[in-house]
Amino acid sequence: MPAVEETIEQVKKIDVDQYKYGFETKIETVKAPKGLNEDIVRFISEKKGEPAWMLEWRLESFRRWLGMIEPTWANIKYPKIDFNELYYYAAPKSTEGPKSLEDVAPELLATYEKLGISLKEQGVLAGVQGARVAVDAVFDSVSVVTTFKDELAKVGVIFCSMSEAIREHPELVKKYLGSVVPQGDNFYAGLNAAVFSDGSFVYVPEGVRCPMELSTYFRINEEKTGQFERTLIIADKGSYVSYLEGCTAPMRDENQLHAAVVELIALDDAEIKYSTVQNWYPGDKDGKGGIFNFVTKRGDCRGKNSKISWTQVETGSAITWKYPSCILRGENSRGEFYSIAVSNGYQQIDSGTKMIHLGKNSSSRIISKGIAAGFSQNTYRGLVSAHRKATGVRNFTNCDSLLIGDKCGAHTVPYIEAKNATAHFEHEATTSKISDGQLFYCRQRGLSEEAAVALIVNGFVRDVLQKLPMEFMAETQKLIGISLEGSVG
Amino acid sequence: MEGRLPIGVGSEALNDLSRSAESRAPARQDVALGRRAMNVAVLKTKVEQALTENFAAVEDQFPGGAEARKVRDAAIGRFGALGLPNRRVEAWKYTDLRNALKEVLPLSTGDKAPVTGSDVSAALGPLAGIDAQQVVFVNGAYCEDLSTIGSGSAVDVRSLAEALSLPEATALLSAEGRDDDPVLALNAAYATDGAVVHIADEAKLDKPLLLLFVRAGTEPCFTVARNVVSIGKGADVTLIEAFVTLPGASQGGQENAATKISVGDGASVAHVKCTIDALNGTHLANWLVDLGAHATYNGFQFTSGCKLLRNQIGVAFKGENAQIDISGTFLVRGSQHVDTTLVVDHAVPHGTSRELFKGVLEDQGRGVFQGKVIVQPGAQKTDGMQMVRVLMLSPDAEFDSKPELEIYADDVVCGHGSTSAELDEDLLFYCRSRGIPKAQARALLIESFIGEAIEKVERDDVREALAELARQWLAECGSTKRT
Repeated sequence: MPAVEETIEQVKKIDVDQYKYGFETKIETVKAPKGLNEDIVRFISEKKGEPAWMLEWRLESFRRWLGMIEPTWANIKYPKIDFNELYYYAAPKSTEGPKSLEDVAPELLATYEKLGISLKEQGVLAGVQGARVAVDAVFDSVSVVTTFKDELAKVGVIFCSMSEAIREHPELVKKYLGSVVPQGDNFYAGLNAAVFSDGSFVYVPEGVRCPMELSTYFRINEEKTGQFERTLIIADKGSYVSYLEGCTAPMRDENQLHAAVVELIALDDAEIKYSTVQNWYPGDKDGKGGIFNFVTKRGDCRGKNSKISWTQVETGSAITWKYPSCILRGENSRGEFYSIAVSNGYQQIDSGTKMIHLGKNSSSRIISKGIAAGFSQNTYRGLVSAHRKATGVRNFTNCDSLLIGDKCGAHTVPYIEAKNATAHFEHEATTSKISDGQLFYCRQRGLSEEAAVALIVNGFVRDVLQKLPMEFMAETQKLIGISLEGSVG
Repeated sequence: MEGRLPIGVGSEALNDLSRSAESRAPARQDVALGRRAMNVAVLKTKVEQALTENFAAVEDQFPGGAEARKVRDAAIGRFGALGLPNRRVEAWKYTDLRNALKEVLPLSTGDKAPVTGSDVSAALGPLAGIDAQQVVFVNGAYCEDLSTIGSGSAVDVRSLAEALSLPEATALLSAEGRDDDPVLALNAAYATDGAVVHIADEAKLDKPLLLLFVRAGTEPCFTVARNVVSIGKGADVTLIEAFVTLPGASQGGQENAATKISVGDGASVAHVKCTIDALNGTHLANWLVDLGAHATYNGFQFTSGCKLLRNQIGVAFKGENAQIDISGTFLVRGSQHVDTTLVVDHAVPHGTSRELFKGVLEDQGRGVFQGKVIVQPGAQKTDGMQMVRVLMLSPDAEFDSKPELEIYADDVVCGHGSTSAELDEDLLFYCRSRGIPKAQARALLIESFIGEAIEKVERDDVREALAELARQWLAECGSTKRT
């Protein structure tokens, strides 16, 4: 089992402070003045050279946001965020020109190299031969480069940064932006709509199967900045796209805010597969620092037989508040949610999904694996609902939690709402610890305790791991090993 | 992670208690960036006002001395601050009392309606066959003539009205860390009568103790019952609560019932509740159970009555190695709304809990199940399993379920499950292929579905009576329904 060996290897290599992406890139940046008001919104819009309609949309969002209050229902505790103490825009100085690989500052290239993300088009993801992935690299508030654009354009796939899409494809952006997560959807989505800086835009035309994996890599670098990216993916009739998202940040003593919005739209017979490996800086072993991750992700299965599949691996962030959801509007549409949430140290995760069945015979599946260690709190919160007219709906939910150590907590809060009799809903959840029997068995065969735990945990999350694209699977197995390091004994 | 059971409004509302009940102006906070605080006008509904005002009007008539009066005043103050729960209150998300309660009926002070033993038997139906010691309350007041129990050495039963005049009576009205529940607060404020039962250590009762709450008269009224039961160490008891309506009596009415039960170390208790009364009435009830070490508690709730019903069950493990098995069945039809909300709090190690609830929803019936299992830090070796299964027989039925786990200890095994579906067509086909008519096959399948829960009742006579009640319900449904 090479994966397990890798895990052990990884665990060995790493010291007490496990986060390996915590370095900072020294690069000159342009920042917006500190604080938040309409002028800042105008500033961001102007920096990005946006048309008037976009500025209006942002201002409208900002005004709505002023009237909203911070949600407090989640099972997380954090100091009050002073939204006036943040920078809402930061961009490396060198990237304001035209975007081709040659123009990208060498510091940035080195940063991504160090993160194991190849921005060279002939490059491949570390460790996986032959796999080609188009990458949109977002550094603080701007997209620095998008690779394989030309090749994708040949088949009609639009893959670019959000700023570019607003300039180049306003008709698509106007039509779809905010149609899944409206401006006033929730507090953090409202904030994002006002100040979002960049993100990825994908449009896959009718009948096209996207020839390669698309990927965005988010990096927060600057101090005291929030990152607010917005991603919009549209899969037109009969198309298919697989999209990966990764993220890291430097180690800092302060907490940084990340409030993203992701909107997915699948039309008739289309399929979107969205995978995330979230590895923001989780804070140090005493719970100091780390990213506050308040994210709104939602997919809309608008067409018949459409399918949206979310796969997430959550290992980073001090606070995670994230519920990738599916609105199953189309007949026979399908939503899937596969999640591994690993918390250690003083991390707090409140994550889950919503499956809202509106279309007839729509179906959904939720597999959630939570692993809590150290002093962390790990909550699964999910909603499955069937509308009165949505007949023949099916859902299967399975949430398992694993506790490692007696100072952590694992919680399950599912909401199940069947508003008609033909809905078949099944929900099951279990919580347990690694059984002594299993551990003993492994140790007896000569595995060290840490290796044994890593092995058992990898087995525990296997159902979800298998749903990840190949490129991510290896990395994730390593990540899980890393995140749990120090939790044994 | 607070010790109190979080059925209810939660700590935010408790903080509001510092504000007086009268001035409920929302506390405006200065928000960064000059943002407007959400201007939610906290206006009291007519019903909330009436509940507070009526209390002042009848306060002199409540049993108990000055001490009890203080507790009642505090309780109505809490209610005033909390108000009726609405769907924005997490624990009441699916049962919006503020919206559902449109009026307050006059409080019954127990004016003696002429009720005879045979009336009561008729109202009890199959339950009449259980040979039990009865304590009867008619319209919320103790009825000595119909009760068949005296005080013996093993069992001591008094009416709450009487017990409240004794010293230390205020404990009978206390809520013990459940101050955030408006329904319980109302109960403490308004409690007119109920049973105060004390079972001696090591007492083994052959016959069940039946607390019977009868609705009589043609005028619907508001009744408030509060039972306080303490079960001595090593005792073995079966306790039955039944809520029934006399034939010909008003089908309306509002009921607020609470039973506090503390189970001594090593005691074994079977606790059954049967709510089959007033189809148009409202029934809000609480069970508060404290468990001693090595205690065994088997609870069962049979519900087929009332238009709007909520049973809250709070179980707290106070001693190690205790075990509970709580189950129930809710049969819902017409436009009934039946809510079962359960909080099991494992505060100590080595506790075992089992819950199984089965529901059948007909017509536009709505079922709600909320079950929360908490494992406190240090409550290692907890074993908890919860299951709710619902059959939806009509396209217009609705079922909302929220099974929750909140776990702060690692060496535990906990799980829950929740399913809802129609009757399995294949099973139906199987029966029909063996020559069983469709209506009968349906009834058979539903009966066996409910049966799994009813089986949990250990006493034969009680189990049989409940099974018969279920059959009657099915027959009534069948007669008005498609075949």
